[in-house]
Amino acid sequence: MLSPAAAAPHLRTPGRRRRVQQSVRERLAPYAYISPFFVLFLIFGLFPLLFTFYISLFDWNPIGEHRFVGLENFTELVHDPRFWGALRNTFSIWVLSTVPQLLLALGLAHLLNHARLRLATLFRMSVLVPYVTSVAATTIVFAQLFDRDYGMINWFLELLGFEHIDFTASLFGSHIMIATMIAWRWTGYNTLLYLASLQAVPRELYEAAAADGANGWKQFLHVSIPSLRPIIAFTVVTSTIGGLQVFTEPLLVNPVGGLTCGAARQCQTVTLYLYEQSFGQFHFGYGAAVGVALFVIVVAFSAFNYLLATRIRTERP
Amino acid sequence: MKRLLTTAAIFATVALTAAGCGGSGGKSDSKTFEFWSFTNINQKGDVDVYTKAHPDVHVKLTEVGSTTETAQALTTALAGGKVPDLVLIQADDLPKFMQSPDNFVDLTTMGAGDIKGNYLDWVMAQSTTQDNKIIGVPTDVGGLAVAYRTDLFKAAGLPTDREEVAKLWPTWDDFINVGKTYVQKTGKPFVDNTPTSVFFQAVNQGSERYYSADRKLDYGNAQVKAAFDLTLKAFSAGISAKQGSFSTGWTAAMKKGDYAVVCSPSWMLSQMKTNAPETNGKWDIATIPGGSGNWGGSFLAIPKRAKNPKAAWNYISEMQSPKGQLDHFLMQGSLPTTPSVYTDPQLVGRTDPFFSNAPIGKIYTQSVLGIKPFYFGPQDGPIGTEFLNTLTSVEQGKVEPAKAWDTALTNVKNAIRG
Repeated sequence: MLSPAAAAPHLRTPGRRRRVQQSVRERLAPYAYISPFFVLFLIFGLFPLLFTFYISLFDWNPIGEHRFVGLENFTELVHDPRFWGALRNTFSIWVLSTVPQLLLALGLAHLLNHARLRLATLFRMSVLVPYVTSVAATTIVFAQLFDRDYGMINWFLELLGFEHIDFTASLFGSHIMIATMIAWRWTGYNTLLYLASLQAVPRELYEAAAADGANGWKQFLHVSIPSLRPIIAFTVVTSTIGGLQVFTEPLLVNPVGGLTCGAARQCQTVTLYLYEQSFGQFHFGYGAAVGVALFVIVVAFSAFNYLLATRIRTERP
Repeated sequence: MKRLLTTAAIFATVALTAAGCGGSGGKSDSKTFEFWSFTNINQKGDVDVYTKAHPDVHVKLTEVGSTTETAQALTTALAGGKVPDLVLIQADDLPKFMQSPDNFVDLTTMGAGDIKGNYLDWVMAQSTTQDNKIIGVPTDVGGLAVAYRTDLFKAAGLPTDREEVAKLWPTWDDFINVGKTYVQKTGKPFVDNTPTSVFFQAVNQGSERYYSADRKLDYGNAQVKAAFDLTLKAFSAGISAKQGSFSTGWTAAMKKGDYAVVCSPSWMLSQMKTNAPETNGKWDIATIPGGSGNWGGSFLAIPKRAKNPKAAWNYISEMQSPKGQLDHFLMQGSLPTTPSVYTDPQLVGRTDPFFSNAPIGKIYTQSVLGIKPFYFGPQDGPIGTEFLNTLTSVEQGKVEPAKAWDTALTNVKNAIRG
């Protein structure tokens, strides 16, 4: 009779191997399942990013010479008034669009969350309509609304006894015009994000507040806003990333001057400048340098926003 | 293990699909070639004519998009993708490709040297390199004339007959004076805007533009300055409606008759019909001040890596012959680049009812005969844009006329980075 001890190694070896195989498989399988995203990201995300860093060191004509110039593109960029102008425009448009848009979304979300709202679904769905409208169509319609001589806004201004404003020609006017388009498009989207969070807030809180004599405004201020802190932080970060990369609106709104968004580049954003340099003038190296600069700015800004947002999130009223 | 293999196979496939887009699509033979064009120029019509005459030839025509989009697609293709055998390039995009002529077949090797005399010399010069390689064969030019509103001219007490109107403005100074009279009589602006209708046209009427004859940058020369000053003069005369070309205001003002003249290349005529159909029959066309001008045009080129350059060349030599270009004009309206057909009765007799039956073939072809060949350099696009933009800023009250020239030179210097 074989002792169990003697038989065990002989019997156990294949079993252990199977188990080891199985555990390796179990450990690797999740990576395989998520790999499609990372494979695609490597090809379409990381590689172009690194390649952009690479060609920013060259004087790079896409169909001609590639001459290594070191950091020359960046030194030129620092002294390029057009780049700084584009940066100024980008930030101005970002502030003008993000701040009113998020405030309006907060207010709308609060209204849509009202317990006694009739046709709630209709209203909640309709705020999303601008978001599903094509950007190009929006831009063309807004360009007509803001037109100097024939636009509806100037028609109203004239009715009220004001002078016509040449929105597209002026720095601030063109920024307001583009910011309005962006706000129009994204307010509904942010409203729904806020609304979703608001619905998770227990009704009892509002009822208790009402019982304590808080009116709608007080409830908004002391119940809605504090409950929305994390989602506010989230929307601020996403709006920042999106706002620093505004492209289609300035490209289409002002056909005068081609890719410059106006004769004085008054509404040319950084991404549009990048596009002008790369695809308009074939300065791919310089365009890439603009891209790298934008990358650094977005990362720095997002980090700053993240810190700010974490403080908001953890702060207690 | 089997499951792991399956998973591996799936993402290997994904990776291959993603990376494999550049693979060859179908085989090619000597009777098949691929042709990239832009939209709105009806190359489809030409291709149909050609394949009807040669039923054994198969042309794969792709209308890529706008002129810019087509140039961008070509750039990407030349930089490392699948190139077409034949491509249409718009004149404004051509200088960028002329910088790197090695991307294209030198058409003199196919026989372009024998036919180059058929085309306008100043157009041919744009697609010829300094060492006499021919990169493109011209398919059409823009030509220039002044479109004017006969009803508004009548109301202002000006003549309406196109011959008499042309006599009003042999020079740009005369044009400005007519504008002043018009503004005095009607109280309304005369011309759509001065940067496009005056500067952009007058600057093409000299013997050199932004480069000297020996192909050196020379954008601050006396001829450019004269065109610039002329534009400032027109602006100061108060004749401009200050509607930037192609803006929403420009279109609206065209419908409402808020300006009476617009300097219009031949391809703009169809845009005017689309923009302002209600003005049908109220327009007429007269010779441009200075007598000559061009805006636009396109070229056919064969990329070096083309699979079937011979078939593409056969197409060029047949369809871009003087007769081919005449037929294309009669079918679609693009102006031929071959002066030998400019006296053809069919071309001379072509009129347009939208423009009071003006003989468009005759007027526009005459405008391209007087042009002197000057060199189009790689920086022509950005330089022209900066000059135009500065003059637009003057119209918008953002730059003082007295400082405009210096501002323009600074902007150009920035734009060309040197």
